[in-house]
Amino acid sequence: MTFGTLFVLSLIKAFAVVVGLSLNIAGVLTWVDRRQGAILQDRVGPERAVVWIPRRIAQGAVLGPAVLAAVGALALFFFKDAEGAARTTRAVGFSHLAIFVTWFTALLIAGRVRVRGVKSSFDAFIASVGDPRHIFYFGLGAHLLVLGLLAALAGTPAGETARDFLYGAGPFVFAFSALFGAAYAAQRFQHERAGFRLIGMLHPAADGLKTIFKEDFIPPGGDRFLHKIAPFISFFPVLVLLGVVPIGDTLCFGSDEQGRIAFTKLLETVPRDGICPTSVLGTGAPVHAVRLQVLDLNVGILFFFAMAGTGVVGAALAGWASNNKYSLLGGLRAAGQMVSYEVTLGLTLIGALMIYGTVRIDEMVRWQAENAWGIFVQPVAFVLFFAAAIAETKRIPFDLPEGESELVAGYFTEYSGMKFAMFFFSEYVAIVTLAGLTTAVFLGGWHLPFLHRDGIHMAIGDTVIFSQPLTHLTVVLLGVLGFVGKTVALCVLQLFIRWTLPRFRYDQLMKLGWRKLLPAALVNVLVTGLVVLAIQSASVEVQRFMGVLGQLTHLVVAVAGLVGLVLFVRFLLSRAEHQRVLASTSAQFAAAAGGTQTSRMGA
Amino acid sequence: MEPLDIDLDSAELDIPAEPALLNVGPAHPAMHGTVRIVMELSGETILKADVQVGYLHRGFEKMCERGTWSQVFPYVDRCNYVSPMLNNVAFALACEKMLGVQVPVRCQHYRVILGELARMSDHLTCTGAMAMELGAFTPFLWLIKAREMIWDLMEEETGARLTHSFGRVGGMAKPPTSGFKEHALAVKSQVLEVVAEAEKLLLGNRIFLDRLDNVGVVSAEDAVSLGWTGPCLRASGVAYDVRKAAPYMTYGQYDFEVPVGTRGDCYDRFVIRLEEVRQSARIIEQAVQQMPDEGPIDIDDPRIVLPPKDEVYTTIEGTIQHFKIVMEGLKIPAGEVYSYTEGGNGELGFYLVSDGSGTPYRVRIRPPCFLVTAGLEKVITGEMMSDVVPCFGSLNMIGGECDR
Repeated sequence: MTFGTLFVLSLIKAFAVVVGLSLNIAGVLTWVDRRQGAILQDRVGPERAVVWIPRRIAQGAVLGPAVLAAVGALALFFFKDAEGAARTTRAVGFSHLAIFVTWFTALLIAGRVRVRGVKSSFDAFIASVGDPRHIFYFGLGAHLLVLGLLAALAGTPAGETARDFLYGAGPFVFAFSALFGAAYAAQRFQHERAGFRLIGMLHPAADGLKTIFKEDFIPPGGDRFLHKIAPFISFFPVLVLLGVVPIGDTLCFGSDEQGRIAFTKLLETVPRDGICPTSVLGTGAPVHAVRLQVLDLNVGILFFFAMAGTGVVGAALAGWASNNKYSLLGGLRAAGQMVSYEVTLGLTLIGALMIYGTVRIDEMVRWQAENAWGIFVQPVAFVLFFAAAIAETKRIPFDLPEGESELVAGYFTEYSGMKFAMFFFSEYVAIVTLAGLTTAVFLGGWHLPFLHRDGIHMAIGDTVIFSQPLTHLTVVLLGVLGFVGKTVALCVLQLFIRWTLPRFRYDQLMKLGWRKLLPAALVNVLVTGLVVLAIQSASVEVQRFMGVLGQLTHLVVAVAGLVGLVLFVRFLLSRAEHQRVLASTSAQFAAAAGGTQTSRMGA
Repeated sequence: MEPLDIDLDSAELDIPAEPALLNVGPAHPAMHGTVRIVMELSGETILKADVQVGYLHRGFEKMCERGTWSQVFPYVDRCNYVSPMLNNVAFALACEKMLGVQVPVRCQHYRVILGELARMSDHLTCTGAMAMELGAFTPFLWLIKAREMIWDLMEEETGARLTHSFGRVGGMAKPPTSGFKEHALAVKSQVLEVVAEAEKLLLGNRIFLDRLDNVGVVSAEDAVSLGWTGPCLRASGVAYDVRKAAPYMTYGQYDFEVPVGTRGDCYDRFVIRLEEVRQSARIIEQAVQQMPDEGPIDIDDPRIVLPPKDEVYTTIEGTIQHFKIVMEGLKIPAGEVYSYTEGGNGELGFYLVSDGSGTPYRVRIRPPCFLVTAGLEKVITGEMMSDVVPCFGSLNMIGGECDR
């Protein structure tokens, strides 16, 4: 790869990680944080932020994409015929897309009809379905029917017919549903302006935007220069931290005539073993590997610690430069806390490093994919690491540097406007970053159980249970999705902790760090060393047995993941209607007059 | 956990160090906006604390001397604004003691139920706010939700959620509403549910317990000599509760316990308040059973109680009676009295002096908070900066009552 290609590629990856992952998830997390707090605490969450859009623009925004998608689908059908395997792919893809768009549109309409009442004969028809969940069940049934039908009839003439039918019907049903849904939505904009709510997701965005226009206050007597750069020093490290964390498996590209990388020639499939084949099958052209991580550093996780250590400086500087005793106390607390917990953070990883035998995070993930996830081989380290990681983010129960009831706002007491927002945001980005790192080191990174480089291959020992080859792109995309999903799950877990626990006292925090977590981490290193030695010197049978155990852990993860998914869907489908008790007379009067909107608060 | 060693002499350090002076409050999140503490800190340890009250002083006692006896009620509402009903009843009892009258049994039960609900709301606020200041935001909102239920009932009964001004000398402003008993029982059981839920979240939590255990310890002797009363005194192990020690109204008839602590630390003060909520629930249950459905609320004395409105507008006697009581005030015989009841934070006393006119000569309120806050300095000296939060929270200083 030439330097230019490498540079552009790195820029794209950095942009994707910073904007797509860190900033995006952090922004959404801000919303989730408040929403989740609201759910736990029986109060109204941030779901009322609204942006008013003129009616015509709103209608265009709804109709435009739908028309484009419908026209695109139909044009594809009429002008670009596909044969063979591509025909099957398009038939399956379009039929599922059509089914999804159909039931999802119906579901949205049903929800709207429930809230706003029946206004047309079509509304009445939708309302006659009763519970909107029925629409979802119906859609799910249709998906399964198509899947089952194609699988059952595969290879027979009837299967050909069914495929051809779906190939033809898919685009039309898709186009109709998309257009109908968009038209229904567009004609519902009755007023001159339409409210764009997005379940309150705009609220954090509006808050963030607002801070740009706020007064930028520097306390008299404060160090102007340090006060200004402190937020940047705080914000920058957490942004670059994710650079060494791989968000997906390596992509393999073919090459053009000159042997340079050709981004259009992504390999169809890759073999199960190794990362990329040395040459494209048949032609012998060289294969170029593109890692899905911004910085391809051989020091890997050490860079992470170097950068995470820099974050301390920002908080300490902010505390010092503010000329405020609360800030100073907060800055000192932040410095002490982060330095202490970084020791634990590093030491817990020593055990993991001993087992993985590498400091490169992508190789750690590969080791976990081959053997077992880190959480199974290093359970103690996982708990310690996660605890120390929360301490690094300076959030409850470790939010002493902020400690709003003691230190007003800790080290950023004297910060306002966007500089305050940078501290605030660096906290949320740090959540994402540390969740990403925890995922990569302990939860198998992009790896999903039984998903190999060439497809799904489920086997315990020599017994093959299930096997399904997949294309290279699908495998990598599934991996990226898996990584993001695990990261988000860890983030949400951190938010749960935040809304549940009170905060430590400073000396208790230090005692926990130095007297409990650190010795535990050291013992963990010792035990890990002994176990690694024991296994290395063990007989072949024992090592074989360990291999099977590792596959069993993958099975456990797969089963647990499926059960979790089912439970999550059940949770989503469960009824979420709150009973409303109007106890006082004035509340009853207000409700009778139609004055108050139905509150979600339970009584 | 025990606090860090504080016998670190500055002379032992290599660099010359002197204590840092930190001014906390009155505009500080943990100071409830009304108290200022000037601390001398060595690191995070408080070497010396100077607690200054009075930022909410509004001269209530003096203002009471310019109206009639009935016009005092709105002032006492604004003393302990978290449980105003207890203050209302306490002041009414003091006036009735001077007059030498007693309200009907139905009214006594009514006052007890409303008062115990107010006590619940006081304790819920205190424990919730304490947990919130320690960072546990969720239980705070749960407990405040329970308080809202109580305030809904208060609104239904009195027409106001916070400052009811519902007490009257010789009765209450209005008789109970028709659904009062069911409402009170329903609120009681819902409050108990919420309390159990919040307790489960907090008292099973190691971090929370570590923050409270052996923090801000006050011995029984110290508590008595400081003049503490109420939950703070009982947490130190002295079982003094005015409701038991000198039963007033119908408190002698009910079966309830006085929870007592053993160590006198923040943990004891925290759990005693939650336990008192349960005891209040017991009292409410019994009072609801014993309260007659029919019968007068006000005493039958036209010199003390306002006549019904229809008589005021239709009969000359009613009009004159109304005019005399409103314009001149009810006449309390000359003399002085000290009447004390169990308020939300302890012994709430009223020392009243009457010169026989319709206007109080002197109204002196003995607020439990003032004396409790006086002990704050002793409680926090030697503790860490962060311990101010649970200590101050567990003492439940109510600015309006402390500064008046």
